Amino acid sequence: MEYQLNFTPIWEHRDLILQGLATTVALSISALVIAGIIGLVIGSVGTARSRSWRAGAALYVEVMRNVPLLVHMYFWYMALAFLQLPAFVCAMLGLALYSGAYVAEVVRSGIGSIPNGQMQAGLALGLRYFQTLRFVIYPQALRIIAPSLASLLSQLIKDSSLASVLAVAELAYQAGAIEGQTFRTFEVYITLSLIYLVLVTIVTQTITWLAGESESAAARLSDA
Amino acid sequence: MPDVIVSNWAFLAQGLAITVQLSALTILAGTLLGLALGVARFLRVPVVGQIAVFYIEFVRGTPLLVVLFICYFGLPALLHFHTTAYRAALLGFVLFIGAYIAEEIRVGLRSVSAGLIQAGLAMGLTPSQVLRFVVLPLAFRRVIPSLFNQYVRLFKFTSVASVIGVDEFTASALLVNARVFSPVTIILTVAATYLVLCSAISFAGRALYAHLAVRT
Repeated sequence: MEYQLNFTPIWEHRDLILQGLATTVALSISALVIAGIIGLVIGSVGTARSRSWRAGAALYVEVMRNVPLLVHMYFWYMALAFLQLPAFVCAMLGLALYSGAYVAEVVRSGIGSIPNGQMQAGLALGLRYFQTLRFVIYPQALRIIAPSLASLLSQLIKDSSLASVLAVAELAYQAGAIEGQTFRTFEVYITLSLIYLVLVTIVTQTITWLAGESESAAARLSDA
Repeated sequence: MPDVIVSNWAFLAQGLAITVQLSALTILAGTLLGLALGVARFLRVPVVGQIAVFYIEFVRGTPLLVVLFICYFGLPALLHFHTTAYRAALLGFVLFIGAYIAEEIRVGLRSVSAGLIQAGLAMGLTPSQVLRFVVLPLAFRRVIPSLFNQYVRLFKFTSVASVIGVDEFTASALLVNARVFSPVTIILTVAATYLVLCSAISFAGRALYAHLAVRT
């Protein structure tokens, strides 16, 4: 018997997909914010002059990066079950701590790519260390690392699908629910992958475009 | 070591063996697939090159979990065949990591300077000999670090196979936890095990890179 492709049952469950999409976006954004803060702090510490600070940052990155994301999530959900955190928060924390380590590495390499003279010039102008970081180093580094950040973010969005394992009702979970009701197995999962593909493409293109805009703005500034 | 781990050692070791086996097979097959696709894209082979682009972009935009679902549930339903969770996971991992490795290989191939290729052709090598003796060896050495990054990534990602019911390490640990209920010890042991093994893969990559690095 030939398998008949039939996408109508999926269209009929579009409300579930939209709900899942909203949860995926909420999960990704909240994890992204925390991962961004972790990455900024740990990445900056990773360029500190003190060797022990650098070692501490490197230790964080190594430990977090080398443990599977699924285990990160189980850690919050099962090992720290006495905290009674909601599944969404467990997934978010796992995703944030894991991705934060990757962001930290990118931030560290971004700061490292700014010539030392910039820092010295900032300090010579009377800016404090943190002011120089904030106003001189970070803006330049951000433009350099924008493409890597875009790919990390798309990674994060895709990784958020693992939250379905903790029964967080995001896209992959809702897809499973629709599959259970309609038995349109192949159509459901192909649709799911296309949704992720579109989502990831939009995010990556937007960041690349924003980086290009700020690049040309900077070029205009330096031409003036 | 904690009692829970010692008394369930044999069972956990069995799971770990499956994780290692799954990773090793995937690394082997995924690297070959990535090499084929990367070269096809680099050489802009008609049809195959375009299919490679489509395939790589599709997989890189799809979460691993969804790739596994497609391989375990979707494809067997569409094409009417039966598969085991292990085989589906293996197929999914190879298809998934192959796409990423293809991109790394292509970047590596492109990093070989045009002058070397012209020099090879000028010396009378055929284009395929230039690829085989000049471009690939140089590119391969350069991509060792990113290749091993992908291997580490894959090794961690094999834990996702537990979701479709492969009895690998994470699944075994969860089962042990269901029996003895000691989540803190078990999850931390699992994390530590992955940490050590991933570090070992990274270390092997760095050692290989240092050993083969192009000295200029």
